[in-house]
Amino acid sequence: MITLKDINKTYPGAVPLHVLKDINLHIDKGELVAIMGASGSGKSTLLNILGILDTYDTGEYFLDGKLIRDLSENRAADLRNRLIGFVFQSFNLINYKSALENVALPLMYQGVGRRRRNALAMEQLERMGLADRASHLPGEMSGGQRQRVAIARALVTRPAIILADEPTGALDSKTSKEVMQVFRDLNAEGMTIAIVTHDPGVGAATNRIIKIVDGRISEDV
Amino acid sequence: MFDLISEISQSLRTNRTRTLLTGLAVAWGIFMLIVLLGVARGVVNTFNTNMGGGQSNEMSVWGGRTSVPYKGYKDGRRVVLKDNDGPMLVEQVEGIAEVVPTASASVTVSTLKDYSSGIEAVYPSAGKEFDNLVAGRFINERDIQERRRVMVIRDLTARRLFDCAPEEVEGKTVNCMGLSWTIVGVYHHRWRGGNFVPYTTYKALTGFSEDASELKVLVEGLATQEDGDRVERELTEALAASHEFNPTDKNAVWIWNRFSNFVQSASALKILTLSVWIIGIFTLLSGIVGVSNIMFVSVRERTHEIGVRRAIGARPRNILTQVVTESIVITTMFGYIGIVLGMIVLQIIDYFMKNSPGEKPLENPTVDLSLAIQVTVVLIIAGAAAGLFPALKALKVKPVEALRDE
Repeated sequence: MITLKDINKTYPGAVPLHVLKDINLHIDKGELVAIMGASGSGKSTLLNILGILDTYDTGEYFLDGKLIRDLSENRAADLRNRLIGFVFQSFNLINYKSALENVALPLMYQGVGRRRRNALAMEQLERMGLADRASHLPGEMSGGQRQRVAIARALVTRPAIILADEPTGALDSKTSKEVMQVFRDLNAEGMTIAIVTHDPGVGAATNRIIKIVDGRISEDV
Repeated sequence: MFDLISEISQSLRTNRTRTLLTGLAVAWGIFMLIVLLGVARGVVNTFNTNMGGGQSNEMSVWGGRTSVPYKGYKDGRRVVLKDNDGPMLVEQVEGIAEVVPTASASVTVSTLKDYSSGIEAVYPSAGKEFDNLVAGRFINERDIQERRRVMVIRDLTARRLFDCAPEEVEGKTVNCMGLSWTIVGVYHHRWRGGNFVPYTTYKALTGFSEDASELKVLVEGLATQEDGDRVERELTEALAASHEFNPTDKNAVWIWNRFSNFVQSASALKILTLSVWIIGIFTLLSGIVGVSNIMFVSVRERTHEIGVRRAIGARPRNILTQVVTESIVITTMFGYIGIVLGMIVLQIIDYFMKNSPGEKPLENPTVDLSLAIQVTVVLIIAGAAAGLFPALKALKVKPVEALRDE
């Protein structure tokens, strides 16, 4: 599913910052992986590269068999839309759109008709147990509900992989457990999931932990 | 398209106050542009009316008195124009198509109720100035040939002489020069007030004199003020040779060169209209800069949202289209409000002008469909320009940077 070969990334500046150093990584289809590390270790940069939100300097990145390099903005947007589902720490829902509209948004960019995409979005909200909240705005929902809306949005395009950046970072421990259970259930259905976290509890709920220290993979268990 | 409209509608509704304030600036700009253009149109219409409609290709020549001695003649000699000056001028001066003599006399035109002073003896071509007759007709060729005693009078005169509606005067008679004349037409004019009779009839009653009080010179094929000035100069020289006065003597003949005046005034009106457009566009520009400014703020505030949209698959084109269309929608929507308000104000001005007595500084100060279309095109272009730069700025931000922006 994902293969990284000797990936390096340096942020330019007065003092260039070499954040990722010779990263080699392979994630198979159906894995539930935690990428862990301290703040500033480079784990979020790695997630951004995996999510085609950022570029790398050297090395090779294959996603679902495709080499991800020198992509146009349009091609990158297309791959993000079709292959990747994002779940963010702060949910990143659009405040003035209802839960249903938020979930349906990625389908709009695929050109799916309104009726069809609303039906697909409702399917995902039902799956997350939020059918009765479809018309609610994000501000009218709890943190756990918002994160489940965000997961529904990530799933609606039937992506190859879900990339989650500290998905429980803004939630209390009870809600965190519920959200992690959602991820485990999705993984049980065959979904590939990579979660960036510094929370050992989240790591423990996954099947594989990749630890990053100072821009290098220090442990892969 | 429906999705785009829906997205824009949601975005505008979310920022109602900001949208309203921005839109008001545009509406004000367009309102001013429309009102200024309407007023300028009114000034042009007034000018055209005062110039006698389509008679801008005409020059009027009157005899005067010489102010310098010439070829043994003393100064102060009266120059009397003659009927046969006409054919001579047509032959000698290039650009003169026709010369029609007219004569005027200080005689009384009366009925039992009232009287009016003066008559003007004319040919049918003088009727071009009076294309909207209230009743009847103007002097025609048969009147000239048969030397009929017919008269065409102004509507105000008709009302005074007969104490009835001008439309009812046709066929009635007046007394003039000791004879009875039949009214064959009534005209309306803002400032002309003559009582017109056939030239030949008047000549027959005055002993077939060859004197003419005025020569109306019709010019053709002239385009510039230089052409008009040349004809005026050559006309003066020809009359000077014929009547033996110094061609540089400004008092020997009086010439009202309507053509040159018209070209000069038309040029001034073009400058006026252009100035109005420039002032209007700059007024509008301040509104457009406001829209652009607000769009910059909007894009800045929505950087994170744009990052989210791009993360889930929005192409740069989607973002660009949304921002630019949003800007065009604000500009066009409020611009139309400005157009409508501007037209309402112009209609009110027009109403008061039409119903006010005396001289009207503005005639029909309104804007037509073509002008509304021009303003609409300006609006759409301005709206697109106002949104384009903020949209391009939004696209420069990488998705990962936009997502970090909270």
